[in-house]
Amino acid sequence: MKLTNRQFRYETTESLKMALFQIRANKIRSFLTALGVIIGIVAITMMGTAINGIDRGFDKSLAMLGYDVIYVQKSSWSTMGQWWRYRNRPDIKTAYAEQINRIIIDNPRSELAIAVPQSSTYQASAKYRDRNLEQVFALGTNHNYLQTASGELSSGRFFTAGEAASDEMVCVVGDDIASGLFPNEPVLGKFVQLKNRKFRIIGIFRKQGKFLGLFSFDNQIIVPLGAFERVYGKNMFTSIRVKIKEQTRVIEAKEELLGLMRRIRKIVPGKEEDFSINEQRAFKSQLDPIKNGIALAGIFITGMSLFVGAIGIMNITFVSVKERTREIGLRKALGARQQTILLQFLIESVMICLIGGVIGLGITFFITFAIGQLFPALPIQFSFDLVFASLVVSVITGVVSGLAPAISASKLDPADSLRYE
Amino acid sequence: MQTPSIITMQSLSKFYEMGDQTVRALDLINLDFRKNDYTAIMGPSGSGKSTLMNILGCLDTPTSGIYELNGQDVATMDDDELARIRNKEIGFVFQTFNLLPRLNCLRNVELPLIYAGVAPEEREERASKALINVGLGDRIKHKPAELSGGQIQRVAIARALINNPSIILADEPTGNLDTTTSHDIMNIFGTLSDAGNTIILITHEEDIAHYTRRIIRLRDGKIESDVRR
Repeated sequence: MKLTNRQFRYETTESLKMALFQIRANKIRSFLTALGVIIGIVAITMMGTAINGIDRGFDKSLAMLGYDVIYVQKSSWSTMGQWWRYRNRPDIKTAYAEQINRIIIDNPRSELAIAVPQSSTYQASAKYRDRNLEQVFALGTNHNYLQTASGELSSGRFFTAGEAASDEMVCVVGDDIASGLFPNEPVLGKFVQLKNRKFRIIGIFRKQGKFLGLFSFDNQIIVPLGAFERVYGKNMFTSIRVKIKEQTRVIEAKEELLGLMRRIRKIVPGKEEDFSINEQRAFKSQLDPIKNGIALAGIFITGMSLFVGAIGIMNITFVSVKERTREIGLRKALGARQQTILLQFLIESVMICLIGGVIGLGITFFITFAIGQLFPALPIQFSFDLVFASLVVSVITGVVSGLAPAISASKLDPADSLRYE
Repeated sequence: MQTPSIITMQSLSKFYEMGDQTVRALDLINLDFRKNDYTAIMGPSGSGKSTLMNILGCLDTPTSGIYELNGQDVATMDDDELARIRNKEIGFVFQTFNLLPRLNCLRNVELPLIYAGVAPEEREERASKALINVGLGDRIKHKPAELSGGQIQRVAIARALINNPSIILADEPTGNLDTTTSHDIMNIFGTLSDAGNTIILITHEEDIAHYTRRIIRLRDGKIESDVRR
């Protein structure tokens, strides 16, 4: 028999009304029933929020490295911690930058824009009069550095090609250096001491924040490469920063740079290269297992609580079907079809789950808001996707838990049900 | 001239398996109900009148035999077709009233129209009219708990009539009412019969049966007597 659209609409409206009636008539029971779903949804959304937060914090950090910069270095970022594999590799020479640039200029179709040398140490100490900052990141480079970095200057200027070429004793400092060594006094033009050499401050970087919460770009002092080598020697940690033309063509750019470096290093075909080309994505792939672990734990916890919640709802719906046997019989006597009854009970369990889901979302929203207020540094993200996902999960839980009782209700014999006491 | 048959039952049987025994609740019944018949079905308990009532009301199907309602062969219908027949052709009135306690009178009376796919405005209008017709125009928004037994049964009658059914099937409609109220309710059935409705009552009370124009007595699943007056 064909069910008209209109009939379906009216019956569904009736079922929705009845479900609301039923839930309002049994408030405490409905709430207890929904509790499992509430806990499940809080778990799912908290987990999602945490993962979102990690992602966002990470992306922010990676943006500091620059999405369009790749690095030629002695060791690879994606196998960090296996230093012994790279111990015997030759050092990266800062002169490679010049060689790379020459090749790039000759090739207009190159994926690479510019190469900049850098030599650095994390162990520098910066002094001004009696003030001393330890564990400063000192970096020697040339005047093109800014093209390959995300920082901006808040005052002053970067050093010029001329200053770089003649190894002037000038420096550009991070925000923490400026405020650490010169609280409440002008910074530009002052001299900061690295080891036994004094550098004149000509520029200050805008504050950038920490990279992965570990390493701060605000803690850096950038000087011309020659000047850096005069202070720290030639055997510091060196790398070549290479800016690429198209952010989307990182893979091609890496290929090209690999070939270039093999040529420069004169590595014969078939032999493994003795350098690494790194990009920020390597960090991301390192973080993925952690994220997956959190997600897996989250899915497990969420799954358990939703499972328990679903069983609770199934149980309560069975009880409800039993209690309302006469109502079911009457509705059938008055013309309700099997699917009408099925839908009525299904809508009821879905509605309980949806209400549970919404309450759960509210709780999570409140918790994330509170955490955000208490610890503003934590990257926490409550997203629309999560709202959508948890509502979908609620509906599915409702359907799964309501289906069996609803089917049993729809199959009840009308004559027997009408006489049920 | 004879009025046309609304219900025709031929060699209709209903058997139940009880353990290894077969109970013949209805045994080769032949019955005919014509338009505007006003019938009482009587019989002691176990005589098969409940089973007959269930089959007449399309709440159950016979084991064998023919049951035609308004020219439709009901005996072979599936559950959903039976639901449609119950909705369109039959108005039920029960001994225990069977109103939904959470709904007010209007919403109770509307129920069959929802399953018939009638629009909300029309439902409300028809349900109000039906309630006015049974003398409850001032109780439309009341819940069953706020009404007397007689009033509740009148709501149930309004609900039975709402879809203009072919037959009204009343199962002990006065069983839970006092004598005066029973009399009132039977007067309503009388009025309905005068208006041309076909009514089948199930009762075990002789004085109630005597409001009708035809009395069918059942015994052991067979028709003992069928008397028109």
